[in-house]
Amino acid sequence: MDTVIEVEGLRKEYRRVRGRRTVAVDGLDLAVPPGGVFGFLGPNGAGKTTTIRCLLGLVRPTGGRCRLLGQEPAGLHKVIGRVGSIVESPAMYPRFSARRNLELLGRISGVGRTRVREVLEEVGLAERADDQVKTYSLGMKQRLGIAGALLKDPEILILDEPANGLDPAGIVEVRELMRRLGTQGRTVFVSSHILNEVQQTADRVAILAKGRQVATGPVHEVLTAGHVAGLLVRLDDVPEGLRILGEAGIDATADDGLIRVGLPPAEAARVTRTLADRGLYLTELRADEADLETVFLELTGGASTEGPR
Amino acid sequence: MTALLASEFRRFRSRRLVKVLVGLELLAIVATGVIVFLTQEYALVGLPDVLMGTALVLVSVGWMLGASAIGADWHAGHLTTILTWEPRRGRVLFAKIAAALSGVFVLSLVIQALLGVALAAAAAGAGSTAGADSAWLAESVGVALRAAVLSTIFAGFGFGLASAGRNTAVALGVGFGYLVIVENLVRGLRPQWTPWLLTDNSGLFILGSPIDFPQVGRSTVGAGVYLAAVGAALLLAASVLFRARDVN
Repeated sequence: MDTVIEVEGLRKEYRRVRGRRTVAVDGLDLAVPPGGVFGFLGPNGAGKTTTIRCLLGLVRPTGGRCRLLGQEPAGLHKVIGRVGSIVESPAMYPRFSARRNLELLGRISGVGRTRVREVLEEVGLAERADDQVKTYSLGMKQRLGIAGALLKDPEILILDEPANGLDPAGIVEVRELMRRLGTQGRTVFVSSHILNEVQQTADRVAILAKGRQVATGPVHEVLTAGHVAGLLVRLDDVPEGLRILGEAGIDATADDGLIRVGLPPAEAARVTRTLADRGLYLTELRADEADLETVFLELTGGASTEGPR
Repeated sequence: MTALLASEFRRFRSRRLVKVLVGLELLAIVATGVIVFLTQEYALVGLPDVLMGTALVLVSVGWMLGASAIGADWHAGHLTTILTWEPRRGRVLFAKIAAALSGVFVLSLVIQALLGVALAAAAAGAGSTAGADSAWLAESVGVALRAAVLSTIFAGFGFGLASAGRNTAVALGVGFGYLVIVENLVRGLRPQWTPWLLTDNSGLFILGSPIDFPQVGRSTVGAGVYLAAVGAALLLAASVLFRARDVN
């Protein structure tokens, strides 16, 4: 199978009062290959959750098609045993223990107690497994939701903002968990607004804005698209540094106390040698790459939109 | 499907509302038994009347349990979670209906059986068991069964309304408003519509006495069939809505 998630011209409109319509997803195309971590990014209201709900058959698209493991929503039951998911905040019974909640879910697909114990250990909830869920922190509830998604030992995991409510340690745990799952041959499809996390975790990303895809591809390609790779140099005498680099035929400009050099990071040694030969020693040298947040803000216009997600 | 049903039965059994209401009913049964024992006047032959009297409580409990069986799931978002495990909505709703309705039916029977045992013990110890013959037993069992069926039908009403309104409170509010306000208004303003009123048909069904409800113009079984048909129609409408609407 070339793709595990396939979305073609997906459109979802919500009717509002007085016949007005809100377009949550507007002709979205998306193809997610099997294996690895796929980041699904977009500001609030971009249509991420609506797309996930369409994929899981929770919401009926107004137009277009979506397929999960080759099945459209009508045939989803044929593959749902291979799909684990969290949609927004995972709902569990607050007065039941984590173990009981998972056992109840597991019964639907014949998942046994051994597997419940395994996933509770995997998400670090084994010690609190018999406590009522209402006593859990938001982060613990989120981890319980992830445990529920893992219960079926799925081929594909669809996680909608899995790091919501997690503390920094919890975010790192989820990141490591996603990476681990992604390298086990599973596909992890994760929507998130914590861009730094996605940049560190995902192999590929798609960025949405106002219900449309504005960029997709491997993370490094999306990061470099439209950005000239360069170097940033810090030294004590910026004007002298500019003069020396200019004389050496290296494109360099001053930028807020730094020198921006128009050479790719692979040629950093040429810059250090040129400056050192003339007695100038740099105090900092780093690649001038756009991070995902910068790319995201540029592509989405930097504004969130209100409406259904 | 069997696994889904088993899961739903377990969920229903574990609900706090079920436990609280059953606890209150058991408490009431014990209190009734003690009071009856202390007054030393109870004649067991009057058990069918007592069971008819408790039918209103059972029907109310059935309505609440039926409504909360789906309303609480809508409110808390559990249906989203369940549908990511079993996307065939018809199956999910059927399992929930089966668990809620059969749960209410069994609970109603058990509660009435316990009440009967408590009153029988009190009557045997400090009252009278005279007249408690086989005809009495048949009448008592008949009333208990009809009360259990009626509470189950009303659980269906509650379930259907809560499913359509996606909220327990909607079902309780609409039910109360309809039964107390609308039906009384209809009875006063359009007496010719009385045969279609739920309260009159319920009264006839529980008492099992068409003579006392000439305005309904049905037999006891006819009233039960009519009520069951209304319940089935509500559940069917809820099912259609459940299949058609988005789950957000």
